[in-house]
Amino acid sequence: MTITLLSLITLGGVGLVFAVLLAVLSKKLAVQVDPKVTEILNVLPGVNCGACGQPGCAAYAQMIAEKKSLFCRCIPGGDAVSKKIEKILGITASQNAKEKLIPVCRCGSTNKEKKRSFIYSGPLSCKSAHISGGLIDCAYGCLGLGDCVNVCPVNALSVTNGKISVNRKLCISCGKCVSACPRQLYKMIPVKDGIDTYVVSCNNQDSGPDTRKVCSRGCIACGLCAGVEQSPYMVKNNVSSIDYDKLTSSKPLADAKAKCPPKCIDKIL
Amino acid sequence: MKELILIFISAVITNNLVLCYFLGICPFLGVSAKTDSAVGMGIAVVFVMTLANALCWLIYHLALVPLNITFLSYVLFILVIASLVQIVEMVVRKFSPPLYRALGIFLPLITVNCAILGAALLMVTLKYDFLESVVYGFSGGVGFLFIITVMASIREELEYMDMPKPFKGAAITLVITGLLSLIFMGFAGLISA
Repeated sequence: MTITLLSLITLGGVGLVFAVLLAVLSKKLAVQVDPKVTEILNVLPGVNCGACGQPGCAAYAQMIAEKKSLFCRCIPGGDAVSKKIEKILGITASQNAKEKLIPVCRCGSTNKEKKRSFIYSGPLSCKSAHISGGLIDCAYGCLGLGDCVNVCPVNALSVTNGKISVNRKLCISCGKCVSACPRQLYKMIPVKDGIDTYVVSCNNQDSGPDTRKVCSRGCIACGLCAGVEQSPYMVKNNVSSIDYDKLTSSKPLADAKAKCPPKCIDKIL
Repeated sequence: MKELILIFISAVITNNLVLCYFLGICPFLGVSAKTDSAVGMGIAVVFVMTLANALCWLIYHLALVPLNITFLSYVLFILVIASLVQIVEMVVRKFSPPLYRALGIFLPLITVNCAILGAALLMVTLKYDFLESVVYGFSGGVGFLFIITVMASIREELEYMDMPKPFKGAAITLVITGLLSLIFMGFAGLISA
């Protein structure tokens, strides 16, 4: 009898002490959370992409609520989200949203087009393959193992036959793929209204004949694209590229694509 | 002093809670996918296990033993550990936001971690005094931290390997745990009494 009573008292007593302690502490140590932070957090897309420079949406909401300024705005959310946040904070610092940037991979060759003179059997990641010299003969080209696909928070990238494609509807321009590529093949390019998006899908900076040896689709720096009327193309370091600031219409872009001998200019859908 | 060092080495290497007593396997499998989170979890365990062992020793020897109701230790230790974790979480959140950001998400996970309860019960079984119990709690936590970090490093490397489908995920993790356990059994003769 006494043992039952004793155990009941002990257990109940210890439980009570902790219950009181927890109740008191939860009041005393309550951390004030700014209601605006939760409000902003509800407006944000919640993909935690990190494009704003903060570790996640929660950290970004905390920061802008404290500083009452948008800093680098939320890129995935775009203008709509920025406006809502400004409403919550009661500020009007809105500038017009920048044009949308999408990443493009500057190598568009498929497995058939890239030459391989040895078999790679190491870890299946671009970083590892790049350290050992790569699994293709081209020292600049896409390794096709998909490090960029793995870091994409919204699954906008995919690899088919060793060629990367970007789904620009899904892309939120966070730029993680740019830093994931060990060969720095990604470049953020602006998408302009009314003008089709083209890209030179090659980054091989060796001379034309050398490029030919390692890839049947590489840019041979012939300069035909730079020769078309009002051409935005320029050849530098043995590789062609597009100056997106010079664009006024899609015509010179399409003309150059038709003329390109190795067909290394791609239109992005 | 020599005793304490022996307790430390034994809890970290020869009688590791995870590899020899198979305690705390769930967080060990769940949080060992990335080294960063594994280290965070490990440090949280060190923190809580040390405090829990100190408090449990006090309650056991100041309340349960004099009243002769030691059979209550299981229930009472769970109660103590759960409340302690809650209190620690609140205190850390209030006074050290950076620490809370690092450990915060792991603390609630530890509430029902069997390794913590195991360490508290083992300290009773092994008849440690107060200081020894605290050191045992600390070194048990360090042992967990050590093993979960080793495991996370191995798993990060495994990510890149071309593994047969049936082995992927939890399966290969358990196989590796078994191998690690075998390896650590090899240390059994390290300390001779």
